[in-house]
Amino acid sequence: MPDWGRNTLELMVQELQRPVRVDDSFDRRVMVRVRRIYAERRHRGIVGWLAAAANVTRRPAWAAALAAGVVAVVSLSVLKKSPSTVPANGQAIPVQFVLVAPDAHSVAVVGDFNNWGLNDTALVAENHDGVWSVSAPVHTGVHRYAFLVNGKQWVADPTAPRAADDDFGQPSSALVVEASTQ
Amino acid sequence: MDSSDAALVARVLHGEVNAYSALVSRYRDKYARYAVHMLGNREDAEEALQDAFTRAYRSLARCEDPERFGAWLFRILVNRCRTSGARRVRRGQTFVHDETALLNASEEHPAEQTMWREEIERALGELSADQREAFLLKYVEELGYDEMAEITGVGVSALKMRVMRACDRLRVLLREVHSA
Repeated sequence: MPDWGRNTLELMVQELQRPVRVDDSFDRRVMVRVRRIYAERRHRGIVGWLAAAANVTRRPAWAAALAAGVVAVVSLSVLKKSPSTVPANGQAIPVQFVLVAPDAHSVAVVGDFNNWGLNDTALVAENHDGVWSVSAPVHTGVHRYAFLVNGKQWVADPTAPRAADDDFGQPSSALVVEASTQ
Repeated sequence: MDSSDAALVARVLHGEVNAYSALVSRYRDKYARYAVHMLGNREDAEEALQDAFTRAYRSLARCEDPERFGAWLFRILVNRCRTSGARRVRRGQTFVHDETALLNASEEHPAEQTMWREEIERALGELSADQREAFLLKYVEELGYDEMAEITGVGVSALKMRVMRACDRLRVLLREVHSA
């Protein structure tokens, strides 16, 4: 019962600030949900890796790259083979970059859309059991990009058209981003 | 091993999913208090809290300042409580007072104290959701108005008005109980 000689609201707040303990099973219930999300994400990563493997069987030229431990896959609904027809218009479209590199310690995506990673603008990929991925909005238009493995190894995307060597003297891939018509 | 929020977030982002349980343990009781008082119902509060932790995990890479993971999580929880409250309004319920929300009080304090706590919870339930939110954030969670504005997206002046009206209303409600 409150002491009405003190401020009523002060007493109320004091009571409300008492700890509220959650049942011990709460943590388990949360972690069940979290692990399910994690498993779903891993599954998507594995699916991506399997898709890459399937592509390799159709395109034997990539087998050497796989044996070298680095195979790259760009998952792009907007990737086209004829870049010359697509002008840049400034609209940004989400693009997911995926690289299978089990032995890598870090993977980043650098391209003309992020100033080739200068001033810490590289897109740092997340590792899902050797499948590295990162999504980023890229403006519509024709772009060049590459994967930067372990901060120093410049890897072109074997699934994408090879871009002509540019001033960096490094291999890079061509990316064409079109606005979705769906 | 570094057990700071930032370190745990980094471990989770690098695939060590179990590190997230340390963050759950760290914040569950603290934030359960807000959810229980905001929703007045332990079941809804736990659901909102679970949703908040799950959403935070899904979006962890978007936590711009991992050192302040707790504040980021709390903002998500406040939004989940708003959503839960709005859903109840659509169902025709407003503030569902639940005895189990008083579990700790009834276990640790004598009957008179439990009655006092019930009166408090009923008075809180009489407030509008906006006023209850502002009052709890200001006085129970002890946030500054700038922090409250950041969390709620409401301007400082409006928040001050809500807190003032909540206090006025609570004083009236609690005095009515004791003069009855």
